[in-house]
Amino acid sequence: MDRHIEEWQQQLVKCVRCGTCRAVCPVFKITDNENTTARGKVKLIEAVTDGKLELTREMQKRLDKCLLCEACSVGCPAGVKTDELFMSARRALADNNGISYIKKIIYTGMTYRSLFNLALRLGSVFQSLLFRDAPDKKGRFSRIPLPAAGLNKRRLFPALAKMPLASLVPKVNKVSNPRARVAFFPGCMMNYVYTDSGRAVIDILLANDVEVVIPDNLYCCGIMVAASGDYGTARHLAERNVAALSSDNYDAIITGCASCGATLKHKYGLVIDDPAVRQKWEKISEKVFDFTQYLTAKGYSREFADTGVKITYHDPCHLVRGMKVSKEPRAVLKSIPGVELAEMKDANKCCGCGGTFSATHYDISRAINEEKIDNVEKTGAEVLLTGCSGCRMHLSDGLSRRGSKMTVMHTAEFIAKAYAAKKEQGRLNQ
Amino acid sequence: MISDEVKKKIRAVVGKENALDSDLDRFGYSYDSSFLALLPASLPDMVVRPLTTEEVSAIMVIANEHEIPVTARGAASGRTGGSVPLKGGICLSLDRMKRIIELDERNMMVTAEAGVRTIDLYNHCAAKGLFFPPDPASWKMSTIGGNVAENAGGMRAVKYGVTGDYVMGLEVVMADGTVLTTGGKAIKNVTGYDLSSLFVGSEGTLGIVTQALFKLIPMPKKRGTIQVMFRALDDGCATINAMLQENVVPAAAEIMDKTSLDAVARLRKMDLAPDIEACVVIEIDGEDQADLDSQTKRIKAVAEKCGALSFRVAKTEAESEELWAIRRTMSSAVSALAPNRIGEDISVPRSEFPEVVRRIRKISEKHKLTIAVFGHAGDGNLHPSVLCDLKDPESAERAHHAVDDIFDAALAVGGTLSGEHGIGITKQPYIVKAIGESGVKVSKALKQAFDPKGILNPGKIW
Repeated sequence: MDRHIEEWQQQLVKCVRCGTCRAVCPVFKITDNENTTARGKVKLIEAVTDGKLELTREMQKRLDKCLLCEACSVGCPAGVKTDELFMSARRALADNNGISYIKKIIYTGMTYRSLFNLALRLGSVFQSLLFRDAPDKKGRFSRIPLPAAGLNKRRLFPALAKMPLASLVPKVNKVSNPRARVAFFPGCMMNYVYTDSGRAVIDILLANDVEVVIPDNLYCCGIMVAASGDYGTARHLAERNVAALSSDNYDAIITGCASCGATLKHKYGLVIDDPAVRQKWEKISEKVFDFTQYLTAKGYSREFADTGVKITYHDPCHLVRGMKVSKEPRAVLKSIPGVELAEMKDANKCCGCGGTFSATHYDISRAINEEKIDNVEKTGAEVLLTGCSGCRMHLSDGLSRRGSKMTVMHTAEFIAKAYAAKKEQGRLNQ
Repeated sequence: MISDEVKKKIRAVVGKENALDSDLDRFGYSYDSSFLALLPASLPDMVVRPLTTEEVSAIMVIANEHEIPVTARGAASGRTGGSVPLKGGICLSLDRMKRIIELDERNMMVTAEAGVRTIDLYNHCAAKGLFFPPDPASWKMSTIGGNVAENAGGMRAVKYGVTGDYVMGLEVVMADGTVLTTGGKAIKNVTGYDLSSLFVGSEGTLGIVTQALFKLIPMPKKRGTIQVMFRALDDGCATINAMLQENVVPAAAEIMDKTSLDAVARLRKMDLAPDIEACVVIEIDGEDQADLDSQTKRIKAVAEKCGALSFRVAKTEAESEELWAIRRTMSSAVSALAPNRIGEDISVPRSEFPEVVRRIRKISEKHKLTIAVFGHAGDGNLHPSVLCDLKDPESAERAHHAVDDIFDAALAVGGTLSGEHGIGITKQPYIVKAIGESGVKVSKALKQAFDPKGILNPGKIW
């Protein structure tokens, strides 16, 4: 406890209560309540350190009302690392009050890799009992409302893949003259839900003569777990992933999921205690790249087909602020012939998903998303691209509610299609 | 304390989700952006969040009947404790009243509710080519009601004036719930007292401003940025004065002393030539590039005559941003030098700017405290920042003495206590010195007439 307090105080003394966070906080914009701003939460934590308030369940509810989108942290003129402070406070609150049973069961399951894998595979078989297909087949709706698990009857969920990505592709994906040999960390969403986007990342790397390995024994990156304050489980996951990724000397570790990338690269620093593991992690951290970052840094093939399509791009929080990646996906996309990138207003503003936030605070999450969807629709684009599966899920839900015809795709899928189409054209011409 | 019965009446007006009385909810409404200690907290007994003027009026009727203190609150970005509910009671949070009611393009006027953010109002008008000039540093979060109640200024004041200069009319809910509408769209108006002006800068002590009608001007077509370095602060001030006398009125003219510049240089890892003692950043605006070029030429001639060391004109938007970044990061850069920064806000006749800075230097030596000086040299409003550690009683005492001396210095050269932050709680001890016993007496008489039970923002100003 004392260690927390010391850590917190370093951040707390910096806050001068200027209120700049009010200007950027998406949750405040919807609720108009000071208590949802970063300033409000920072002051609550300050009162805890001064012994005037306690780490109660009510306090936990206040700290949970945050997307961890990092807009306040990046925009803070005094440099208060609000996201880290709030995660640490959630940890102390979880230590004190525990977390919800549903979260506890799921998070514990995540540390048993084969069990987690089996659960999600069984889930893919039995999901039709719980969900029905959306009429346009773009996803599924819940049959039964289960608010504690974030299941709302009108909310569009993606279907679980029949087979996880790791069983669909070889462990080692070879190329004839490899420029590099990298590990790909697909993460849960690409492994169990959006396997097509995981496959697309692999295809893009192969098209650039990069050998791709999916290491054995990868676990969930743990961001959801850490964000809920369950640092014990998050540490288990971090330690196992660090072990799996340092088992071989890869040239780089590639992610296609904004959250996994930001977690592997930065957030593990918050959860890992053991100095030996930390040392290993620091080496890994330097090698973590979002796939678009890797392409632009190392150079990439321009063998793209002419697409002739108007697209727009949404910056995921964990990519633009978490990994400082925003120019790279745009650069790659704009290098595809015929692509017209129509920028939306506030492209780097959170879509409202925030991982489990969208489950626990669906109404706020949806209201934030509505504004995002307005901005998306105003561009007149045919395709909406983003580099995060969470954003993709939430944006699809938003568009589906409006009956929009717009396609939502992971950036990787779009790029991979442009490579594949060119290859196909070549084959036809021969 | 508010009785359960009265709380029930309040809930009936705004709904229970907008009448908050849990400990944690109230805590978030106990502070503003001043250096007042967070603890012990000045907790309101209830946070009330009305959506309409009618709701505000109904709440005031209840408060007046039961003599409950009411403190209006916008973004709580104020610097003097104006929105801190010192005597408990109701914190009237106007965050939900954020409609821009009308943009009248023909008359070039806009009507907005109190909770509209300054930046949103600016952008709304800018989309139609109209300009709402008041730009307090907090404009991204501050709200219109607070801007009016504190008569907020900003960097553009040198050319365009402050919030009050744009107020054409107000809708105000009085202490007893009466809704008063002042002013209107007629530009010339001497029908009775100028009631609007009474509420401008009244810090929520005379009435609750629920709507404001502002006049607008056409948006300047071109903007340019100039940075000039000097070997003495006096040279910078002399340049600004000479410019204004020659009728080159900059849209902003900001000056920074050596201490401030060193702080920014450290934060941004810049190298500064050792002989630089002051920096002036100037914004000019006009009809077209030729207009800007002609202004630049005249400013350059004046600056050189005053001994400028360097003169840099931004060629691109990015370069202009870079030059302004020095000024924009000033508060955080200076704050990083010590655990606490008491950012004061004095205003002096423009000619006395160098003299008051000299006096502040002496105060800094006398109390052995670093005091960084930067501010709006173009209008004589400066922000001396006293660096201290308020948790160390000895440092805190020296800091408070230094602040006392700074106010004395401002008054001695014919200046005043506040340019744009108001008096609130933090400057109360000095008000008599500034406006005199008679000034306080007349103010109190006004207050008595407007709010006989003394329920509006009690404990502020005097």
